Amino acid sequence: MSADTNGQPRIGVYVCHCGTNIAATVDVEAVAEYAAGLPGVTVSKTYKYMCSDPGQELIKEDILANQLDRVIVAACSPSLHEATFRRATAAGGINPYYFHMVSIRELDSWVHTDIVEATAKAKDLIRAAIHRVRFHKPLERARVNVNPAVMVVGGGIAGIHAALTLANAGKKVYLVEREPSIGGHMAQFDKTFPTLDCAACILTPKMTEVGQHPNITLWTMAEVDKVDGYVGNYQVTVRHKPRFIIEEACVGCMECIEVCVFRRGKTPDEFNLGLNMRKPVYIPFPQAVPQVVVIDQDACIEFRTGRCKKTCVEVCAERNAIDFTQTETFDTVEVGAIVVATGFKTFDPRRTPSYGYGVYPNVYTAMEIERLVNASGPTEGHVTLRDGRTPETVGIVHCVGSRDVNTNEHCSRVCCMYSLKLAHLVKEKTGAEIYNFYIDIRAPGKGMEEFYNRVAEEGVHFIRGKVADVYPEAGNTGRVVLQAEDTLLGRVRKIPVDMVVLATGLEAQADADEVRRTFNITCGGGGFFMERHPKLAPVSTFTDGIFLAGCCQGPKDIPDTVAQAGAAAAEALALVDKGFVEMEPNTAYVVTEECSGCKTCIPLCPYTAISRVDGKAYINPVLCKGCGTCVAACPSGSIRQNLFEDEEIYEEILGVLANA
Amino acid sequence: MAQASVLEIPDLTLDGLLATPAGRELLSCIQCGTCAGTCPYGDFMRYTPRRLIGMLREGFIEEVLSTDDLLTCVTCYDCWAKCPRGLRLTDVLLPAVKEQVLLRLPEVPAELQSALANTMRYGNPMGESPRKRAAWVESAGVPVPILRDLGRPVDVLWIVECYTAYYPRGQDNARATARILHALGVDFAILGNEEKCVGECARLVGEKGLFDTLREQNAATYAKYEFGSLLTCDPHAFDALAYVYPALGLSRPVDHTTPFVAARLDALRPLLTKDLGYKITYHDSCVLGRHNHMHDEPRRILDALPGVSLVEMTHNRDNTICCGGGGGGMWLDTFYKAKGYPRLSDRRVEEALATGADVLAVSCPYEVPRFEDSLKVLGGDDRMVVRDVMELVAEALAD
Repeated sequence: MSADTNGQPRIGVYVCHCGTNIAATVDVEAVAEYAAGLPGVTVSKTYKYMCSDPGQELIKEDILANQLDRVIVAACSPSLHEATFRRATAAGGINPYYFHMVSIRELDSWVHTDIVEATAKAKDLIRAAIHRVRFHKPLERARVNVNPAVMVVGGGIAGIHAALTLANAGKKVYLVEREPSIGGHMAQFDKTFPTLDCAACILTPKMTEVGQHPNITLWTMAEVDKVDGYVGNYQVTVRHKPRFIIEEACVGCMECIEVCVFRRGKTPDEFNLGLNMRKPVYIPFPQAVPQVVVIDQDACIEFRTGRCKKTCVEVCAERNAIDFTQTETFDTVEVGAIVVATGFKTFDPRRTPSYGYGVYPNVYTAMEIERLVNASGPTEGHVTLRDGRTPETVGIVHCVGSRDVNTNEHCSRVCCMYSLKLAHLVKEKTGAEIYNFYIDIRAPGKGMEEFYNRVAEEGVHFIRGKVADVYPEAGNTGRVVLQAEDTLLGRVRKIPVDMVVLATGLEAQADADEVRRTFNITCGGGGFFMERHPKLAPVSTFTDGIFLAGCCQGPKDIPDTVAQAGAAAAEALALVDKGFVEMEPNTAYVVTEECSGCKTCIPLCPYTAISRVDGKAYINPVLCKGCGTCVAACPSGSIRQNLFEDEEIYEEILGVLANA
Repeated sequence: MAQASVLEIPDLTLDGLLATPAGRELLSCIQCGTCAGTCPYGDFMRYTPRRLIGMLREGFIEEVLSTDDLLTCVTCYDCWAKCPRGLRLTDVLLPAVKEQVLLRLPEVPAELQSALANTMRYGNPMGESPRKRAAWVESAGVPVPILRDLGRPVDVLWIVECYTAYYPRGQDNARATARILHALGVDFAILGNEEKCVGECARLVGEKGLFDTLREQNAATYAKYEFGSLLTCDPHAFDALAYVYPALGLSRPVDHTTPFVAARLDALRPLLTKDLGYKITYHDSCVLGRHNHMHDEPRRILDALPGVSLVEMTHNRDNTICCGGGGGGMWLDTFYKAKGYPRLSDRRVEEALATGADVLAVSCPYEVPRFEDSLKVLGGDDRMVVRDVMELVAEALAD
């Protein structure tokens, strides 16, 4: 410990007003005056905004002018400005870890109303810091090299865009997709709002680019099984599900599909939401990337009986791409960063039985209608009912599984606009009368309100009321009645329609919680992955080196998804391109001579940072995240932690309780 | 899924709303109209629950209270179940509003007035003699002990309730229940003439004062005896006993006969020997079904009856539609008719007839007279009969 001639440290205490955030509830002048009288305090000041340039300058100048060897700032929270003040401390020429931060905003002024008590609490907290800071030691940040490769998980438009951005910057990218093709939900859409671009026309070139990009390794039918390591040096294990096709050998000629012993498909076609049937050997959709067929083990006769004629194998004799013996395989790759872009699922309207989905045949989900209006869909773009008739009246029910405490509280953001788009497309194709039943039309963003106007001018009906009941019209007409209060007219409407479109909302993927655990990230409301900060770190997570893109973070439209994917790619690039990361020194370490080698700590470490070397525990400082579990668990007390040394903690407790 | 509970808003002003959690919740109404769209009388209301909340929030509530619009609320819990904000309409807002409406009404509809007066005076809405409350016991065919005469604690105190005790078709339910309890070997008793109306419909129609009086009297009666749990065949009584009475210190388990029997189906099954040969459609009552989500229990029982097949109506389970008898609707038929409103039970019976079933099974004593009337009006009484689930179980029991 450096100290003055009396053995005392020379501490500078700075109390921040934070405008009125702190000063309105804590008497900052009284606090600074109090601190000035405590042992070891050489300088004690207040300032309006300590985080401002002049505030930081104040620290630097005082260190030089008064030979300060410890700095305490009482202000907001360490997560916000600890780094700022450590830099200011270092700028004054002393080790940045001689700095300590006291939160008198989040832990005091923001949570109390009584000025006298809040001021007393601020004094207690600062006194605790003064007690602890004298035991601070100079620490160094370790540098670790970063692997320049990046993994992107999920091959929807978010993952595709992130992967291409990184690959075009010259980085090696592993793109992992669990379905047989990339493309995600966007590949299923017909047109995109509000410009009505053809989804396939704008997506397919990007999909092809992914498939051909020299820097991208594309793994479809693959899932991330395990993530080890730490920022800059992740080891990711990927599980490959068998496709029963040798990808490199298949050229996508699809002759095997032609000759399959199934003359017609009997399995619901996933890509078309079961509106048609596919064979056991199939390609998900014409523009699929990779252009490689896949065999459905559950439907294929060879797998079920072992006695198929295997006409597919015969026709593929030359290339010999079919391999019924394939099994699950694993790959482990090293990457510096990971972009999680695992997407969303749509709400299952069976959970709202009053809408009659699955009961009345002509009640559809919006995704089903996307496929019906799509020229490459099961009806080649003809919007027809299940019995082949063209609908004359169509009701679109908004907010199905959104804005509803009984299902999902959140607004799914895209349903209003896709409902307007479907209203336009269905009207264009059928001339039907279209009724939109909505609560509020949410059309923020470029060109959205203009599109709303356009659809209204086309004569689409807008009824402001949430549909309350759906039931068959009397007299076996095949129509169903949509019943809702038209809240603007103040009357209950009962409108018989041929077709009902349920604008189902967006939900977190069913396995979001498992995925969250795999990547050690967190879920927020509705099960969507949590960003580190909603405004200032929207694509980062609480785990360094893991970034978010697209709807796995929350519902959003294609423009926002692509923008976010670009941001996630840029953040990942900023990390891997720098080539190294600096590790926080608040790690645990073993006092080897005291360690008995009991191994208690090893299984407790959540980061597998502890191993046994020469009969003693060894903590890899690069892996250690400073959680303190091993420190608390060590029976002999031989594990210590930087910045959380016993004497630092005990002194802090003594300090905070000194007047208690 | 919305859960049953009882809360109160004492003051129907913005400040009053801000003062209670249930009231503050009402401020989050997004005016989507689900309540009006799903309300069985939504077509006829000038002040739907949606408008009511809008007027209340903006200080125009007096205008609403001076109409008799809200008397059309038959407490079917449909708006409560479907409200995307989860607002406590049926059990919190509407009773509070109806109480104020009744106070301002120049003339309370005669039928309702007499039902409430009868309940006050005789302890039952029909105005029958309290001394005849247990008269049905003589025709029960099995002993039905009266708790006071028994002079010992029992496992189950059966609250028979008014329609089941007095109304002739209701007594069929009482007799059936008595037989089933005997078959199951349940140690039970009734209060006999000491029993009074539990009062739930008085509460939900807005006569909170009458409800409070009944609750105090009943709680005092129950407190005189030792028993393990309460049982009732009336879902409305079940709600009051389960959710409202406990505030007065009555904290016994409460069961309705349908879930009670469903839970003992394994013991009952060997005794169900008579082949009924019925095609049955089950009507989920608003209170037992939608409010308490007890949909599987009655169906499990019906499924266990020999020779029975089950068919569903268009509206079933949580999405059931109302018979029109709840929340005082039982005593407002004349009032609704004078206004030209349709009978809600007719719509339900039309759906039941459309299934081709020959039995319309119910679990609420209000529904038997309402549906039987509608069957006669619609000319369906030669094709379909109405039976409580208990009556069907008793019918399948060996003699």
